[in-house]
Amino acid sequence: MRLRTTIATVAVALIGGTALAQDFPSGSVDYVIPFGPGGESDITARFQQPYFEKLFGEQLVVSYQPGGGGAVGWSQLNGMAGDGSVIMGINLPHIVVKPKQGDVGFQTEDIAAVHMFHYTPDAIVVRADSPFQTLADLVEHAKANPKQVIFSGSGKGSANHLAQVQFDALADIQTTYVSFKGTGAAVTALLGGQVGAEWGYTTVGAKQGDTVRMLAVAMEERHPAFPDVPTFRELGYDLVSGAYRGVAVPNSASEEVRQGVADAIAAINADPDFQKQMIDGGFALLDVSYGEAMDAFLAEKASGYIEAAKNAGIIE
Amino acid sequence: MLDFLVNAMSPLNLVLALFGVAAGTIIGSIPGLTATMAVAVLVPLTFTMSPDSALILMGAIYTGAIYGGAYAAILLNTPGTPSAIATTFDGYPMAKRGDGDLAVSVACLSSVVGGLVGALALLMLAPPLAEAALAFGPVEYFWLAIFGLSLIAALSTGDFFKGMIGACFGLLISMIGISETSAEVRFTFGTNTLLGGIETVSALIGLYCIPVLIDLVASPDRHLKPAEQKRGFRLPEATVILLKNKFNVMRSSVIGTMVGALPGAGGSIAGLVAYSEARRGGKGDEKYGEGNPGGIIATESANNATVGGGFIPTLVLGIPGTPPDAVILGALLVQGVRTGPSLFSGGADIVYTFIFGLLLATILMLPVGLLIGRFAYGAIVRAPKAALVPVVAFMTVIGTFAIRNSVSDIGIMITLGIIGWIASKRGFSVSPIVLGLILGRIAEQGFVQSWTIGDALGDLPGQFFGRPLSMVIIALTLLSFLYPFWPQIKRLVLRSTTDPVVDRDPAPNAAVMRDLGGFVAFGAVSLLVISQSSTLNAEAAVFPRTIATGMLALVVLAILRLFITRHVTTVSIEGSRARMLAVPIIMLVTVALISPLGFKFAAIFMGIALIIPAQYESYSPKGWAALIAGVVGTIFVFSTLFSDVLGVPLP
Repeated sequence: MRLRTTIATVAVALIGGTALAQDFPSGSVDYVIPFGPGGESDITARFQQPYFEKLFGEQLVVSYQPGGGGAVGWSQLNGMAGDGSVIMGINLPHIVVKPKQGDVGFQTEDIAAVHMFHYTPDAIVVRADSPFQTLADLVEHAKANPKQVIFSGSGKGSANHLAQVQFDALADIQTTYVSFKGTGAAVTALLGGQVGAEWGYTTVGAKQGDTVRMLAVAMEERHPAFPDVPTFRELGYDLVSGAYRGVAVPNSASEEVRQGVADAIAAINADPDFQKQMIDGGFALLDVSYGEAMDAFLAEKASGYIEAAKNAGIIE
Repeated sequence: MLDFLVNAMSPLNLVLALFGVAAGTIIGSIPGLTATMAVAVLVPLTFTMSPDSALILMGAIYTGAIYGGAYAAILLNTPGTPSAIATTFDGYPMAKRGDGDLAVSVACLSSVVGGLVGALALLMLAPPLAEAALAFGPVEYFWLAIFGLSLIAALSTGDFFKGMIGACFGLLISMIGISETSAEVRFTFGTNTLLGGIETVSALIGLYCIPVLIDLVASPDRHLKPAEQKRGFRLPEATVILLKNKFNVMRSSVIGTMVGALPGAGGSIAGLVAYSEARRGGKGDEKYGEGNPGGIIATESANNATVGGGFIPTLVLGIPGTPPDAVILGALLVQGVRTGPSLFSGGADIVYTFIFGLLLATILMLPVGLLIGRFAYGAIVRAPKAALVPVVAFMTVIGTFAIRNSVSDIGIMITLGIIGWIASKRGFSVSPIVLGLILGRIAEQGFVQSWTIGDALGDLPGQFFGRPLSMVIIALTLLSFLYPFWPQIKRLVLRSTTDPVVDRDPAPNAAVMRDLGGFVAFGAVSLLVISQSSTLNAEAAVFPRTIATGMLALVVLAILRLFITRHVTTVSIEGSRARMLAVPIIMLVTVALISPLGFKFAAIFMGIALIIPAQYESYSPKGWAALIAGVVGTIFVFSTLFSDVLGVPLP
């Protein structure tokens, strides 16, 4: 009897122990954003923060490790603890394009991406008083005046820049792209009339309201917050693109930890309040989870980005 | 309106404003802890608050931190935040001669006035000022950066060529890492350490503070001249000085508000521009740069005015005016407050409650700031050297780490400090290097963007020189560049001003050779950059190549002048070489020890080791025990605060 109890106790302890090891989170989690505060990566992490605490009863501590357009953080990711106590934000196209541009301290394959949770679709944004009422107006003007349509956008080799390159090819036009440091600066240039249009994100439309007009969004279907704005596909240009964001873990993390993190991020994405907050902010939700789905997603995106980056002359 | 005032004055909001200002002031006073970080740490706390209380708390911390940056600038010659760079120019000389307490009080009064002007502008002029800020395009930012650089003419103590060469050096090191405008990896020499570039704040700490530490251990003299008797806050004296400078304080506050409203400029540029203007119209017994309180007034009123000014585009356009605004904007979004054009019409209650809260926090800064300033002054003046050096060195190390959680940044900080110290002894003062470093990225971005736009439009000259706003800035820049030379404009090539040790007699061969060594070193840097630029794409190469070529020309001219005139500007090295050498060596060893020992133990090792070169007085065994316990205790408490309260992941 006593022996059996002992065995039972040990068994319970073992099972319990394994179950505990599988559990994520097992304590407070550091969420490292490889950019400075205030950008889209930071804001969405901040959106997730309260839901993480509500769902799992543990702290999600957001910290920043900016530098080199994310490269500083990603090059250090695999040196961090793989026990589920650290997760890091990742961005496409950055993690694909950067390593191809030179030695930035990491390779795309080094990064253990576990869940992509949203994207900011690319969009062409003009001022409310712009003569371009529709995308057709802009294309027509660009055809007649090569290079004279000047776009602002966030960064070189970024989602905005690659979208501009892809769209120029699709519409057979030549436009000029001026890289700014972050979306805020690109919007400033647009509002100040320094440029005629912006390659921005749907979030710009949400934030700037009536002062701007989006001509088209690079989504598969229209954005729920902007039912009147057509997609590029509707207008005959096969362009679905944007900056995709997710989380990665250090590559020493076990399968359990990877799955646990992926499940936790997916659980936050499933919360209706969280969804509403994201959509109102102009973001588009997405669930690409750890495993085959992720591999296929990354492979498909990577080939598109690399081709566009080659066309843009950013990589060889 | 009254409702909003009453709302802002609720007991909870009052407590939050008071707490925010005090916490902000302390955080800002520690080099490395910036206003951005202070606000970012608070964000999760604000999720549970109502939006107006959250905004008041964050605004109060922000205001306090910008003011707190003045303490370290005045007492340690190290700007606590980048906004306080120009505060060091006159603040530290004042502290040196024993007027540190007066300088702190003047800084407090100026900050309050500047803060009030900024907040009132936000209250009354926000929408039109936001519109005006949008007129600033890439070209204007480029010229604004050049305007900031024109201060070099004034700051290169004793030698214009050396100042210009130093500025070029600063511009070049700001381009290390992945380029913002072209996404190209530049000047990293194959190491990942330099990938993220040289972090501005840690570079400031290294360039300003490490030389102070090295000079501190060199001689047994006290760090600052202590007061002979108790003098209190010296508030009446400070008020009189402020009244004498009433035009200066108003002009600087207006400059601060307007520069703050420009997204992409920020407090450091506001302070520099205001300083430059104050210097030109300067009066008073002391020269600017040698302890004229007008310099502190200009910088501190301007940088605190950027707080209110920066909120103008943040709230009206939804575009952050300064980096801390970016964090606040994010926190507001999480709260469900949509900033931007609709906020002033739709969510006006929050906006006005917040603005009154900001005014309130600014007023509270007067008593809080004076009290904390008094304490900071007392602590720095009274601390024995053997305690001051290890604790300040520790602060530089942990502050540098905290900026972006990077150990290699500490190594870079110390290395830059050593370069800064050597350069300053060769007559290359540190400030032009810092100006180059801070303004380099803004100048390059503006330049490349304007070039791209001008090229597309087929009108490059029109783009750079034809815009009315640009013409105004260019005119101001020319004035500012030439002004220091009016008296001796003809002798421009020979020498500008007279300080520090300028011997008019031909220098001995050895000195000429040492000076030549300095020029050759900088010439080698420029050649290295020119050769590296050839492997970069056109967009990434154009700016560094231009700067390096200019630098090379300056070096050649300076060497020619050296051989023709045999005039040498150097600062003599006095005191114990062994002790001076010990400081950077111990600090570099500490960086190497962080990975095997962990941060805390490495820092404690450094603290104890640095006591030895810094110690001049003899202590009893009990005194030694108290000294070591004090240093170790401070390091321990601060490391714990950083890791547990501020959430800094110390290794």
